[in-house]
Amino acid sequence: MKSLLDASKASRFRITRIVGGYGVRRRLLSLGFHKNDLIELDSRSIMGGPLLIRNLTTDTSVALGRGIASHIKVEIVDEEQ
Amino acid sequence: MRNNKHPDVIFIGQPNCGKSTLFNVIAGLKAETSNFPGTTVEHSHSKVNIEGRVLNIIDLPGTYSLNPSDEAEKVALSHLFLEKPDLIINVVDASILGRSLEMTMELIELEYPLIVALNMMDLAEKKGMEIDTGKLQELLGVPVVPMIASHGRGVKELLEEALRSLDEKRSARHLCWSRDVEEKIEEVEKMIPEDFSIVANKRFTAVKTIELEMPSLNRMLEEINLPLKQTVDRVRNELKVRHDAPAYEVIAAERHHLALKLFEESTQVKRGKRISWQERVDDLIMHPFIGYIILTAVFLGFFLIIFKVGGPLEEILLRPLMSVRASLQSSLGTGWLFYLTDGLIQGIGGGLAIVLPYFVPLLFLMALLEDVGYLARVGFLMDIFMHRIGLHGKSISPFILGFGCNVPAIVSTRILESRRDRVLTSLLIPFIPCSARTTIILALVAFYLGPLWALGFYIANMFLVAILGRILSFFLKDPSPGLILEIPALKAPALTNIFRKTFIQLKSFVKFAWPLLIVGSVVLGAIQFLNFDKIINTILSPLVNDLLGLPQELGVTLIFGFLRKELSLIMMLQSLGVGYQELMTIITRQQLIVFTVFISFFIPCLSTVAILWKEVGKREAFISMGLNTSVAIVISLIVRLIIGG
Repeated sequence: MKSLLDASKASRFRITRIVGGYGVRRRLLSLGFHKNDLIELDSRSIMGGPLLIRNLTTDTSVALGRGIASHIKVEIVDEEQ
Repeated sequence: MRNNKHPDVIFIGQPNCGKSTLFNVIAGLKAETSNFPGTTVEHSHSKVNIEGRVLNIIDLPGTYSLNPSDEAEKVALSHLFLEKPDLIINVVDASILGRSLEMTMELIELEYPLIVALNMMDLAEKKGMEIDTGKLQELLGVPVVPMIASHGRGVKELLEEALRSLDEKRSARHLCWSRDVEEKIEEVEKMIPEDFSIVANKRFTAVKTIELEMPSLNRMLEEINLPLKQTVDRVRNELKVRHDAPAYEVIAAERHHLALKLFEESTQVKRGKRISWQERVDDLIMHPFIGYIILTAVFLGFFLIIFKVGGPLEEILLRPLMSVRASLQSSLGTGWLFYLTDGLIQGIGGGLAIVLPYFVPLLFLMALLEDVGYLARVGFLMDIFMHRIGLHGKSISPFILGFGCNVPAIVSTRILESRRDRVLTSLLIPFIPCSARTTIILALVAFYLGPLWALGFYIANMFLVAILGRILSFFLKDPSPGLILEIPALKAPALTNIFRKTFIQLKSFVKFAWPLLIVGSVVLGAIQFLNFDKIINTILSPLVNDLLGLPQELGVTLIFGFLRKELSLIMMLQSLGVGYQELMTIITRQQLIVFTVFISFFIPCLSTVAILWKEVGKREAFISMGLNTSVAIVISLIVRLIIGG
């Protein structure tokens, strides 16, 4: 399964699973990240910095550190470009 | 403070929903007791008189859900759970209705009287969203009031609705979830005995026992009611097997789906989801390269604007002050009356002519950056640098608040999830030049030596924070949990809102800090008249004179700097017995820099120490005092050795 870390800017993704401990999962859930939500990668910071993720289902943006992003497993929905 | 005579009205909402703006509009309009921005420890509250009825309104810190994951959320929840409010006003950002309704779902489960304040309707409209508030009201079963708090629109309707709800005492009713989940909840609900400490109602208590998988809660349950604990465990397990996800996730998904369903049924989205200018601007300011250029430009601009506005203002305001002082000297001679009036004038005039010219533009620009949503973006951009000093991007927002005042900055470290991050950030904040210290830097260094010196001072200060962070994180070994930070949509600045924020903070300066400056100056006058200052100065002489190479007379000002940093600046002139324009005749450039360095880093001011003590702990407060004082001495010495003097 791909994690958000492997996501590319051109595609949309569906969240298939959120893994990790209670704390991290809870935090992501309360920020509106749920299984089956559609998301896309808006920006990737330089030098191992955070990712900017846009949740298309709830229409919100969240910056996630790479460690956290690896907890979100995704599948590709469509290839644009 | 709970007043039984007046109904408690709680304002609750997710971060960035405009809740505090709304609170300020309401409290600012008719406040009988004001809120204390910056010194708010738990929550702001305010008694408001509406059409002859007094309401006790309480502004809780922003929270994403009723499941606490950081200190700020714990505060919000303990208030909600322990003291049953008479009315809850749920402030919702209409432009992200789908997500925001998730918390509304949870609040409805409490089954207290509830009103949804549908804020930022203008933003939703610009996004092409057409919300049928009547329909939403019907679906939720609670009153929905559309509004634009930053323009004051809808506030009157909200208050009227609040009064009506208080009269009718109509409680919300929970909405039903999937059948199989409801059945499981009912199983737990049935097991809850009457004498159990029930929060809100039995169903809510049952839901929370299932979804809060905290070891402490599990242990407690096991001790007080083993059969209940066994049922909870079984239910959790059954939900998990059936839905292939932990029970708390199943419940969160129920709320999520319900929220999305309500959103879709009440809202039509006409145009593409994002406003194009926002997208374009965001692409630039979050760009991995251009973003940093913009960031640098913003901070340089920030600094220069404050100086360009403050400098000339200071000169204009100082002139009449100098002439009053001169005429006083000639008419009153050198008796006690002169010392006391001189102290009084230094205190009032110093606040007016030296502090305010820099303070006001600083507050204004801070409010502006916050209002448009740039601060969160700085968090994103700075995350990698923050990692180098052992923190992550979320600590940026307390740091930036620290440029205004260290006190609210330390309170705001509550948004950090881990204790380690909180301690580290709180110990570093006192090294951030707050508005008082910025004033000193601008009024002394920039004014006498030029703005470039001040800028250099600032940059060196940032490096110092970075180095200290690095060193301190060496002692705090637990790993940092990593960044999860919401990036709110960019907004066009709402001037009324920014002015209001500036005004409220200015008011707290005038009310709390200025009197302290005035009293401090008068006390110094009295001390000088009685020659006590000589004793203090002699005691401090080894530090001030021998170690730092400063005039011995400045010793007494350091003591007062502990009360309020600006006091050292104003007293500096008073204790040296010169006017502002004549300062450089008796003090060298080198001494000026050493003094500024020492004052900036030396012991955090009294309010900062107090808030550290309260928020983080006694131990940390003492560590902070020791750390600041030793760093101040070491850095001042190094500076003295480098530049001589």
